[in-house]
Amino acid sequence: MESLPLTEPVLLILLSLAEHPRHGYSILKDVEEVSDGRVMLSTGTLYGALRRLLDDGWIERFNEDDTTRGRQAYRLTPSGRRNLHHEVSRMKQLAKIASLRVARKET
Amino acid sequence: MLLLYRCLLRLYPAACRDTYGDEMISVFRDARDEKRAKGLPSLTGLYIHELTGLLQGALQEQLRTLLGSRRWTLFPLRRFNMRSEFRFPKSTTMLMVIILAGVVLAIEKAKAIQASLPNLNPPIGPIRPATFTFFPTIALMFLFFYVAGAIGWAILFALHRSGVHRLGDIDSPAQSK
Repeated sequence: MESLPLTEPVLLILLSLAEHPRHGYSILKDVEEVSDGRVMLSTGTLYGALRRLLDDGWIERFNEDDTTRGRQAYRLTPSGRRNLHHEVSRMKQLAKIASLRVARKET
Repeated sequence: MLLLYRCLLRLYPAACRDTYGDEMISVFRDARDEKRAKGLPSLTGLYIHELTGLLQGALQEQLRTLLGSRRWTLFPLRRFNMRSEFRFPKSTTMLMVIILAGVVLAIEKAKAIQASLPNLNPPIGPIRPATFTFFPTIALMFLFFYVAGAIGWAILFALHRSGVHRLGDIDSPAQSK
């Protein structure tokens, strides 16, 4: 099971699905865009992560009805969204502490 | 290239390939079309990145199938990769992937050869006890101890290079005060 803290690729995939459902290629592009080109997932890495998230029930797979290609799309489950929210809160807390400590050191 | 991609997909466990194979090919095709428009260096970069990722993914999926999903979670390689203090060198990962690919291909090849050959195993004759003379036995013992000594020396050398023997010299913060 995916546990907190999440790895960067998994976090970026979940963030990509947070706004709306996406299919595989759209996730790849969004992850690259969100990370400013720093994280470029290969299809092997992407589908390995998607399979684990599906197994853990963090995301679900469904058929895209509005496309002619009949591609599979992925969306967050309530459990996945809750876990993502926990992770973001954890990161916020960490960033807050880090900022305070760095500021204290500078003064 | 698409053909090579399809061939490498065969390294994945069958269940995984059946579920995600077509989708992965479709995504790879989209990425390839996009990079093709950007030029040859971009396209070559994508091919290398994709093939490496595919081999790594196949290794992880095969290990997961082999060890079972529950045990596999005890060895989350990705998580280790993300930690700055512990990283597998890329060469090690590549070597492991190449070895896995070799083993899988050898198994498939052996199965194909076995299926194509008629069962013509010759009858096994009477088994005779192996006769050891004194000098070959001594030579074997010498070789055994030599190899054991070399392995021991290699371990000590590796530990020395890692600097682990200097850990005892480090004072704790309380002592240094």
